[in-house]
Amino acid sequence: MNPFTPRVAAVIRREFVLRVKSKWFLLSTLGLPVLIVGLGVLSAFLAVRGGTDVGEERRVVGVADPAGLIGDLLVEELLADSLDAVRAGGMEEFSVDEARTRLSDSSYDLLLMIPRSAGRRSAEMPGETPDADEGEGDDERTTLLARASVPSVIEGSVRGALQRASVRARLRSIGVQSVDPGALLQRTSFDVINVTESGEARSQDIYRALSFGIAFFFYFILLIYGQMIVRAILEEKQSDIVEIMVSSLRPWELMLGKIVGVGAVGIAQMAVWALVFALAAVYGLTAGASTLAEAGIDLANIPVPWGTLVLMFFFLIFGYLLYAGMFAGAGATISNEHDAQQVMLPITMLIILPFIATQGVIQSPNAGWGIILSLVPFFSPLVMPARLFATSVPVWQWLASLVLLGVFVLGAAWVAGRIFRVGILMKGQRANLPQVLRWIRHG
Amino acid sequence: MIGAVNTPAIRLRGVTKRFEKKTAVRDLDLEIPHGSIYGLIGPNGAGKTTTLRIILDIIGPDTGSVDVFGSPNVEAMRQRVGYLPEERGLYQKMTAAEHLAFFGQLKGLRRKEALARARDGLDAVGLGDRADDKVETFSKGMAQKAQFLGVILHRPDLLVLDEPFSGLDPLNVELFKQLLQERQRAGATILLSTHLIEDAERLCERVCMIAGATKVLDGRVRDIKAAAGRRDIALSFEGNPTFLDAPDLIEDISAHGTYVEVRMLEGADPQALLRRAVDSGALISRFELIEPSLRQIFIEKATEAGLSHEDESEDDEAAA
Repeated sequence: MNPFTPRVAAVIRREFVLRVKSKWFLLSTLGLPVLIVGLGVLSAFLAVRGGTDVGEERRVVGVADPAGLIGDLLVEELLADSLDAVRAGGMEEFSVDEARTRLSDSSYDLLLMIPRSAGRRSAEMPGETPDADEGEGDDERTTLLARASVPSVIEGSVRGALQRASVRARLRSIGVQSVDPGALLQRTSFDVINVTESGEARSQDIYRALSFGIAFFFYFILLIYGQMIVRAILEEKQSDIVEIMVSSLRPWELMLGKIVGVGAVGIAQMAVWALVFALAAVYGLTAGASTLAEAGIDLANIPVPWGTLVLMFFFLIFGYLLYAGMFAGAGATISNEHDAQQVMLPITMLIILPFIATQGVIQSPNAGWGIILSLVPFFSPLVMPARLFATSVPVWQWLASLVLLGVFVLGAAWVAGRIFRVGILMKGQRANLPQVLRWIRHG
Repeated sequence: MIGAVNTPAIRLRGVTKRFEKKTAVRDLDLEIPHGSIYGLIGPNGAGKTTTLRIILDIIGPDTGSVDVFGSPNVEAMRQRVGYLPEERGLYQKMTAAEHLAFFGQLKGLRRKEALARARDGLDAVGLGDRADDKVETFSKGMAQKAQFLGVILHRPDLLVLDEPFSGLDPLNVELFKQLLQERQRAGATILLSTHLIEDAERLCERVCMIAGATKVLDGRVRDIKAAAGRRDIALSFEGNPTFLDAPDLIEDISAHGTYVEVRMLEGADPQALLRRAVDSGALISRFELIEPSLRQIFIEKATEAGLSHEDESEDDEAAA
């Protein structure tokens, strides 16, 4: 029998139209792309601003190195890094009081204090952290004092300069005079490419990032739309309309209509997002095609994993139906917002836990426990899509996962339907657990 | 359209429904003829709402059978019924026309047809210019009209109304009664529950009285009153009232000066009392046999049966 009778369709339509027309839908649908673009622009802007900041209002760093360990080298390095630096005399003993006086009297913005004790151990240079076995806490530490808070860019410059100065001092001590410490401290990096069974090669880092993004997105969608279900059901009770509804359709039809209607809103929202990002991607890639071509990237060769995307969509739909059923059952046991928070909490935990687990799974997507979690319903809607992106998953695994999930969806729908049938007519107090169990047993 | 005329629109046989702590309906038999206006009367908590919910298949009876329109096909029944529960709300964020159209669609109307009827209905009750306003902007009286329209939009063969007049503003009471009678003329059966027995007495042809989950009495209002007998007499006179000292005829007297209400003993002849009055020389200006009110009959019968006719603390518990 087709469950989507005209009256269920009417409920779906009502839920969908009302929500899509709402301000909330407009704001959240447009909000996400705007937020992402905005964050991109903002971080780019801050990066540029941050650079000019250092250039425009130059900070003066006083270097107090009474023992003369690396003071001169450090000043050189700081100057090379477009900071003003001078040696600061005095400061024989470390003293915050004296430092405060110096900072307010003199023209320094910052004062770097290198204690005498730093040079006592031959193996150690100022600023270096002693290893645990040889270090003890009574040594004074190299300290950067500042009048106001230190911008992280400047803190980084000072740290880099101190490191380079240490390297130079150490090289000098073994007789090497002229060497570029920057070259010595060059960072190393390499790409990790997974060669999958189907022969495609893909960059591990990008796919890990995508895995995380997908898991986060699913987590977000399940949480938001699950809560929307509870509110949609609460609305029935709070507007005193539920009795009229159940005289026209069966409680499970009402539940089905609500779940599908709210889910359709989610699909509409994702369709808008997909469209926006597709347009942005096409526009962005076309504009940047020449640059990419220079970097040796051919647009035509970037593989779009359609199969994986479709599969993930199924996991999202099944996951939504599983949680929506539970949220609907929970929503039927309550009559006010206050109780809503309480009944939603355990279900919310069932979404948060898999999300946390997903982050571990992404790191080692083929570990035994990761495989198991990707098969377990409740975990699988988040864990399996993440694995699908992070690694190549054998067919039997995702198929088994999907089938198991499907069975749980039906089970949850059955239980929720039983709870809903009785609960939807209840008013006032929240039903307690024994009551709910009795409804499930007897209907 | 409607089943054979001789089968009742609704028939309940031995219906019992228990909730956790109490029995809401006990062994109830009910027959509601086609085309009648039928009143279910009794105090709050007597089991009226539960009975209506059982008839509408919102909840199932524990035992007994329910038969609406002579067939157990519940699905077909739903589309032919309009139900106005005691707690009647509207989705606040919908416009009136959209909302009524939604109700119509739930009852199987096509959307276009439902929208057209919604607008016509709103026009008819003077809300035509508010059809596209959200329900949340409506006054209480306007919302009441919209709720009622929602129940009759699909022109149901059976209207079930739970305490339809409670909380209504007086103008709407008249409007509702008009619309109800319109539906009845169109052939619909109307079942309403009320704890205001006077309402039922004015409006219903037949009533069923329940108290404490049990039927006390049912039938035509006319027959019920006739069976109760005319034992009450309104009497106005001038002169010596000694003729009223007649313990062989009179059970009870409430005197208001020269106007007296007399209750005759069961089987006593009112004519005998009239003769004695005339013989005593009193000047009789009024001597009238009064029909007992449904309320009096109800209280008498309920007390006889040892059933509580007082309002119980809580209204019918929801299905639990």
